[in-house]
Amino acid sequence: MRDEQEHPADEPLVSEFASDPDMIEIVEYFVEELPKRVQAIRSAVTDSDVQSLRTLAHQLKGAAPGYGFAAIGDAAGVLEASLRVSDGSIEGVMGQVEDLASLCQRVRVR
Amino acid sequence: MTVDAEQLGEHVPIVLVIDDCEDVHRLLTARLRNEAMELVCEISGEVGLERIHQLQPSLVVLDLEMPGMDGFEVLRRMKDDISTSDIPVVVLSGMQSPNDKVTAFDLGAVDYITKPFDLMELRVRLRAALKMRHLIQMLAQRAQIDGLTGLWNRAHFDERWSEEVKRAERSGSPLSLAVFDLDHFKQVNDTYGHPAGDAVLQGVARLLQQVARQADVACRYGGEEFVVIMPDTPPEQALNLCERVRVALSDTDWPGKPSREVTISAGVAGSNGPTSTGRDEWIEIADKNLYRAKSQGRNRACMTHVGGAGPRLADAG
Repeated sequence: MRDEQEHPADEPLVSEFASDPDMIEIVEYFVEELPKRVQAIRSAVTDSDVQSLRTLAHQLKGAAPGYGFAAIGDAAGVLEASLRVSDGSIEGVMGQVEDLASLCQRVRVR
Repeated sequence: MTVDAEQLGEHVPIVLVIDDCEDVHRLLTARLRNEAMELVCEISGEVGLERIHQLQPSLVVLDLEMPGMDGFEVLRRMKDDISTSDIPVVVLSGMQSPNDKVTAFDLGAVDYITKPFDLMELRVRLRAALKMRHLIQMLAQRAQIDGLTGLWNRAHFDERWSEEVKRAERSGSPLSLAVFDLDHFKQVNDTYGHPAGDAVLQGVARLLQQVARQADVACRYGGEEFVVIMPDTPPEQALNLCERVRVALSDTDWPGKPSREVTISAGVAGSNGPTSTGRDEWIEIADKNLYRAKSQGRNRACMTHVGGAGPRLADAG
């Protein structure tokens, strides 16, 4: 996982592909859609829907690095792994959910 | 008819991506935009498998974890089906355990890339898989091409002929087979030397390629014998084609080589509709007609109908 101290809580998180003309369009798309993903994660938490939460974390872990957001991929990976060891307890992974959500809030296209 | 560039895979290869995650579709489409490949993406195993049959892609990039039909099942079904078993599959999966990798390779995958993937690495792995596919296809095709004439060889004929006989039996459509044999070819070789003989064989091959239509399959059967498979062709039309070959050959000038003309005899077996005649029986009938053409004085074509209401004879030349 990334060292959080390198990224103060309000510093924008920018894609490493922000200046890649091939990528910028889909990076924009990802950034636009990201709040919806976070919302879906929060709904899964509210509904105690562990299966959906695991799927959402898994997808984000795979997708985020491809759009140039490795830190989000890492945080989603941590959440997925925590779900595996928490025996289906949502309470046990709240910290990881919040870490992921606050990272996502800092995301900007450029 | 004969071997063309497209069959050798010179066109832009289609790469089919089957992954339930649309992010993967978007990322691959963006990253592979400048590659010499046409990317098609599908979202499920079921639809993906359908598309594989429909598109016959050069390469499949396959996710393993998908709801409904998963990647293992897609792979299994592809490899169980002769029409898709040769298509290479690169697995792209978040499953990292050696067991999953072993299973995927056992099922016939050619490569395994784990998610999250590095796009540069993925790109070169796909290139490598496509190149391998191209080389294998070329080798397979070369093994079925006659070196001297460039026509299909005997091995290809044996394969195609069985297929066409089965197809005609199923569909009840017409089918014809012509067997050609050069007249007194040994004399050409003995009198003018083997290079002259080879030139004659190449000349006949060129003629067959000119006269045969797109769907016809012209092969060198061996020595100075040639065969042409003519799908969906009634025997009278096949006899016509043989006549054109025969006349064109006897009109050919062989510069500085044989002063006498080179001639060819042909035997045709053909059916207008449903027949249950076996593949070997067909060849025997065509051979008998060839023998008839030879014994009637050569430089002619003889034909009989196969199956149906008993043999009817027709000759030309």
